[in-house]
Amino acid sequence: MKREYELLLGVECAWPPAPPPIAHRRPRAVRGLRLALAIALLALGGWQFGRGAWIQAKAWLAQVLIAQAWQRTLAGERHAKPWPWADTWPVARLSVPSLGIERYVLEGSDGAAMAFGPGHLQGTALPGERGNSVIGGHRDTHLAFLRALRAGDEIVVETRDGRRARYAVRDTQVLDRHDVWVAEQKGPARLTLVTCFPFDALRAGGAQRYVVRAYATDELKNRGGERADRTSHLL
Amino acid sequence: MKGVEKKNLAGKIAFDLIVSVALAAAMGIAAGIALAGVTLLFASQAQAAEPPQQGTLLLRPRAAGEPLSAPLLSTAVAFHVSGMVARARVVQTFRNPGNEWYEGVYVFPLPENSAVDRLRLRIGERVIEGEIQERAAAQRTYAAARTQGMRAALIDQERPNIFTTQVANIGPQETIVVELEYQEVLRYRDGRFSLRFPMVVGPRYIPRGVEDAARITPAVLRPQEGRPPVNPVSIRVELDAGVPLGEISSPYHRVDVKVLGEARREIALADGSTPANRDFELRWSPRPGSAPQLAWFTEKQGGRYYALLMLLPPAATQGARLPREVIFVLDTSGSMAGASIRQAREALELALARLAPADRFNVIEFNSTAQALFPQAQEASPAQVQRAIGWVRGLEARGGTEMAAALNLALDGRDAGGRVRQVIFLTDGAIGNEEQLFRLIRSRLGGSRLFTVGIGSAPNSHFMSKAAQLGRGTFSYIGRIDEVGEKMAALFARLEAPVLTGVELRWPEAARAEAWPARIPDLYAGEPVVVSAALERLEGELRVSGVRAGQVWEARVPLAAGAGSAGMGSLWARAKVASLMDSMREGASQDAVREQVIALAIAHRLVTQYTSFVAVDRTPARTSDERLKLAELPTNLPEGWEYDKVFGELPQGATDSRFALLTGLLCLLVGAWMLRFRRSAV
Repeated sequence: MKREYELLLGVECAWPPAPPPIAHRRPRAVRGLRLALAIALLALGGWQFGRGAWIQAKAWLAQVLIAQAWQRTLAGERHAKPWPWADTWPVARLSVPSLGIERYVLEGSDGAAMAFGPGHLQGTALPGERGNSVIGGHRDTHLAFLRALRAGDEIVVETRDGRRARYAVRDTQVLDRHDVWVAEQKGPARLTLVTCFPFDALRAGGAQRYVVRAYATDELKNRGGERADRTSHLL
Repeated sequence: MKGVEKKNLAGKIAFDLIVSVALAAAMGIAAGIALAGVTLLFASQAQAAEPPQQGTLLLRPRAAGEPLSAPLLSTAVAFHVSGMVARARVVQTFRNPGNEWYEGVYVFPLPENSAVDRLRLRIGERVIEGEIQERAAAQRTYAAARTQGMRAALIDQERPNIFTTQVANIGPQETIVVELEYQEVLRYRDGRFSLRFPMVVGPRYIPRGVEDAARITPAVLRPQEGRPPVNPVSIRVELDAGVPLGEISSPYHRVDVKVLGEARREIALADGSTPANRDFELRWSPRPGSAPQLAWFTEKQGGRYYALLMLLPPAATQGARLPREVIFVLDTSGSMAGASIRQAREALELALARLAPADRFNVIEFNSTAQALFPQAQEASPAQVQRAIGWVRGLEARGGTEMAAALNLALDGRDAGGRVRQVIFLTDGAIGNEEQLFRLIRSRLGGSRLFTVGIGSAPNSHFMSKAAQLGRGTFSYIGRIDEVGEKMAALFARLEAPVLTGVELRWPEAARAEAWPARIPDLYAGEPVVVSAALERLEGELRVSGVRAGQVWEARVPLAAGAGSAGMGSLWARAKVASLMDSMREGASQDAVREQVIALAIAHRLVTQYTSFVAVDRTPARTSDERLKLAELPTNLPEGWEYDKVFGELPQGATDSRFALLTGLLCLLVGAWMLRFRRSAV
């Protein structure tokens, strides 16, 4: 027993500087398999990585295009599409001066719109108008900054007619995705920003939502009956 | 130099070992990642193929099929009521107006104690009798017939009160009829009989851990102006009450009643049919003085007698009112929005006003979370009661249905200080995790009593009755705002009158009786003993006894004096299945129960959780080059519910980008490492 231990322990000391090549003794099939596996892994990795990168790239590139569409909107164009085949258009520019954040809000909070920018939930008030304007966005792209917002932080909204509306963050809370009462229109003029929670989760599709509510700090003009028609079915 | 060779050899072995371990590990990681990647790819494809499940607030969670070409369904129900027992025939007609072949899937409710014992498939003149098989076997039989282009029907039980009909190969412009029959014992309480027929499975809230969620959540049509509801139902009841009839009423549907004799009536919906969007109920009471106190029905079947006993203990004398601790639990989830929450709020206000100053009370409301009005039960002083009423008035229905949280709060195991502790639970029971909640009630009940009040147009009757049974209380329903006063008064009467406990049945030895349920629950005022039995001989006397307010009550039933009645075997088997399923909650082995239930269900041709009905028409219909389309038949939203409060969701705010980046990077690293390793090794 003792002798075997000595032998084994001695092995390390007597490790040859360049070990004899032994790989060539491995059957060709094993090497082939390993090569195939490595290539498959590289391909899969490339595809996956590319997919992830594409989501991010799309999200940020789109904001550049939307910025141009926003200029056209301010110049009076209705439903200015950022690119010809887009099925959405910017409805407001949102900024948080203290964080140096600027985002263009798109119409519609379905996946198609939210891939390119925070989406305005149809049926709720438009940002900068009276009522409750609900805006959804991804926690890992446009609305990642919600995490840094604290009560009292200022949010500025530029509306389609160039008006500026100021809001102060009232509270932040974690809710269930079914808690649609935060979208109710009653009550003071406010923004309700919704993203997924927890912020650090890897996968999409959780049941929790992180909700920031910011209340208007100055009197907002009621922009006519158009909104009332659209919101009636919500309540 | 033997030592050196040995060292070399050991070195080689060690190196080989390390290499193979590393390779194995890498393979493992790579396989894992690859699998994850593949799953992910398929998952995202599947998501893409389905209608988007999240996104906007107003989107429905499941698509409601193709409204124009998919098969349409209509249902006709005929009841034969004789005394305490009803036999129902439910005829589901699937009509395919389009030019394609369809498989229709329809999820529908039946009473929770219904014994479904017959299935017939009708195609034109042909009638194919259904066969009971083990659930998996029946599904295989059905699937084989479907692929071979044969017309077939399958009936599965998802919950005691939720069933699924699947019909394969409904040809272009063809009509296929699925007929099922069931037997049930009617509810008799406070001198009144009631026949209840549910028509729609209300959308259920599905918390974590419900595996068969997809099978109990059919797509729900969004109510739209100008579009009539789907799935019309016509109802006909042939009533033979066995005793002279007094009042008869249908509180939720207009009916025409034809008088055929002192004890007989024929009832049909006044409008011919009604959309399947709320429970139907027919109530009748015998003429004063002729209310039955005892019913003993027997039927001989295969050398054995099957029997049903109904025995009404004498009315309780009002005892001294004991101080109570009453915990009210109010469901304020989204499914309660609309008519339901108004009914529940009013019921709760009535109950609060009825508290005596000597009582203690608390109020709990729950939706996505549960919260109590007071940290612990308070004296029911007028000021506290007023405060509670004010709080209840301000409650709104919204959000999820996390019922376990509320039950945990209500059944807290705290000592009620010698008081009777009663938990009154107002809910529509629109949840999919019944079993989890039943287990919770069983383990936390302690000395409390749980009373369920089913609210709204389509309450979950399985939840109401079983929760009350496990909670040693009783259940009632409120289906309309103008019923609140009457139903709550009846509930208070039950809560305040002494309970009949320790009910025992002693069967004569010679009868060799096997009776279910084995344990008779405590009986509240106005409730009868109901037992199904199988006997070898109808000889001797059954003695029934119990204790109420310290007084012993005993009754004797001569077994030979029974009246003949059909279908007693099915009822007995159904009662036994229910008891067997209950025994699993008390620790009985699932495999043993399963085996017993299957044997029993096959002998009595019953649909259970483990057995299904299947009928196959052997004549081939669809050729293999014609495609079969799947149509999941949408259901209506229960009357009085608010669609957006149930299906509304906040936008989903996350992408898979980080996951994709991370797994991608991992794959790249491992792949690169393997390539490098290969080069250096060669």
